[in-house]
Amino acid sequence: MSRNRSIIKNLVVKELKLKYKQSMLGFLWSMITPLVFMAIFNFVFSLAFMDIENYSLFVLTGLIFWQLFSNTTNQTMQSFIRNGAIIKTIQIPIHFFPLASVITELVGLLISFVPFMILMMFFGLEFSWHFILLIPILALFSVMCYGLSVFLGMLNVYLRDISILWNTVNPALFYLSPIAYSIAIIPPEYRVYIKLNPLYHYFQAFRDVLYSNSIPELNTWIYISLTSLVAWVLGKWTFVKLEKGIISNI
Amino acid sequence: MSDKAHIVFENVSLYYYTFDQGINSVKDYVLKLGFVKPFVKRKVLEQVSFEVKPGEVVGILGKNGTGKSSLLKCVAGILKSYHGKVEVEGRIAPMLAIGAGIEMELTGLENIKLITSLMGVPASREKIDEIIAFSELSIEDLKRQVKTYSTGMISRLSFSIAVSENPDILLVDEVLAVGDSGFQEKCMKRINDIKEAGSTILFVSHSPDDVRNICTRTICIDRGRIVFDGDVEAGLEVYRKQF
Repeated sequence: MSRNRSIIKNLVVKELKLKYKQSMLGFLWSMITPLVFMAIFNFVFSLAFMDIENYSLFVLTGLIFWQLFSNTTNQTMQSFIRNGAIIKTIQIPIHFFPLASVITELVGLLISFVPFMILMMFFGLEFSWHFILLIPILALFSVMCYGLSVFLGMLNVYLRDISILWNTVNPALFYLSPIAYSIAIIPPEYRVYIKLNPLYHYFQAFRDVLYSNSIPELNTWIYISLTSLVAWVLGKWTFVKLEKGIISNI
Repeated sequence: MSDKAHIVFENVSLYYYTFDQGINSVKDYVLKLGFVKPFVKRKVLEQVSFEVKPGEVVGILGKNGTGKSSLLKCVAGILKSYHGKVEVEGRIAPMLAIGAGIEMELTGLENIKLITSLMGVPASREKIDEIIAFSELSIEDLKRQVKTYSTGMISRLSFSIAVSENPDILLVDEVLAVGDSGFQEKCMKRINDIKEAGSTILFVSHSPDDVRNICTRTICIDRGRIVFDGDVEAGLEVYRKQF
């Protein structure tokens, strides 16, 4: 058990080192990127979406977790191929690689979280004990990212089109989730389609806590719990089905 | 310590499942609604049976692509898609490729720490010093990223890490070919030390001299089957006749 933990820890340390190797600003990028996007959206959209109160805070609360989603899926689905040389020569359970990758992204988020909280308070966020709810939401979010990434990553080992496809789908999901605008501007009869997107409910939950300063509704909890469960089962199932061919296809 | 090193293969057949790439096979798969198998099954080892006792040093001989490396990967527990029974006991040090698991972007020193811990025995400070001393790489080199190394330097680093502990079972897959003759000699000496310490060794090599020097037995493989198992000289003779 402790051997496994040490392996995962070392893989996470490796990924963190690789991520910021030869970059001058290092982990600061995980803060700069959302800030740049926030500034752009503020400039482009704040007049269009004038109804949204405190647009900066609204968009930042979405962007931070969107970046987590986007980075985690992209990095994790590539983790099998990225670590191909190790998988082929050292006997380590293969699912450790996506696991380490998700943990790496979470660590990155946690490091940038304190400065982000200060910034969000600057934009008018008020401290509340509701924030503790971020822990279960983030846990469910990570499970969903892990399951989805393992599913995509295993397919990607066999068909490299998957990662290219995902790069195309990613921005579309960004506008469907929605991060830059509120569902309130969508005509009521079309809202149901936005709500069909499972991601919507995670971002809703994050925003309930950080933007509306409220507790997410029971429905939201049920949706995200189910989605995470389905994603995890999907990842697990794909992994079991496709594992035997992975060495000869990496 | 090495009394527990034991390898038993009973009627082991190993397959590679390759995905038949290309748009046609994907179209086929979708059109037939998943009723065709997406994988192409390729036999790599066929009905392989052998037993290696503690302390034996077995040379694995055969042409390129006959399944020698796959056999070692099977022993190491990396390949699992086999039929039959595989029993392996003991701590394994796998040296299955030059620069196995080395991360090019990290420094030599970081790689020593990473790989030893991935292999299950994180190196202590003394162990790291031993590895450095064995590799004969300078501290300046070790503080540079491995991508700046030459192939010979990478193989020095990789070999030094792999043999830093006396394992129960050592798997060597043609990794000695690189490196200058001085280092090759040093490697053979180290492998011999591991042999003297009582470890079991599976040794894939195309060098008859190395096999003669170190092996106590040879297994000859041809197209996935064992065609010879026994004495070193006789094994080398069978190997020579394959060409």
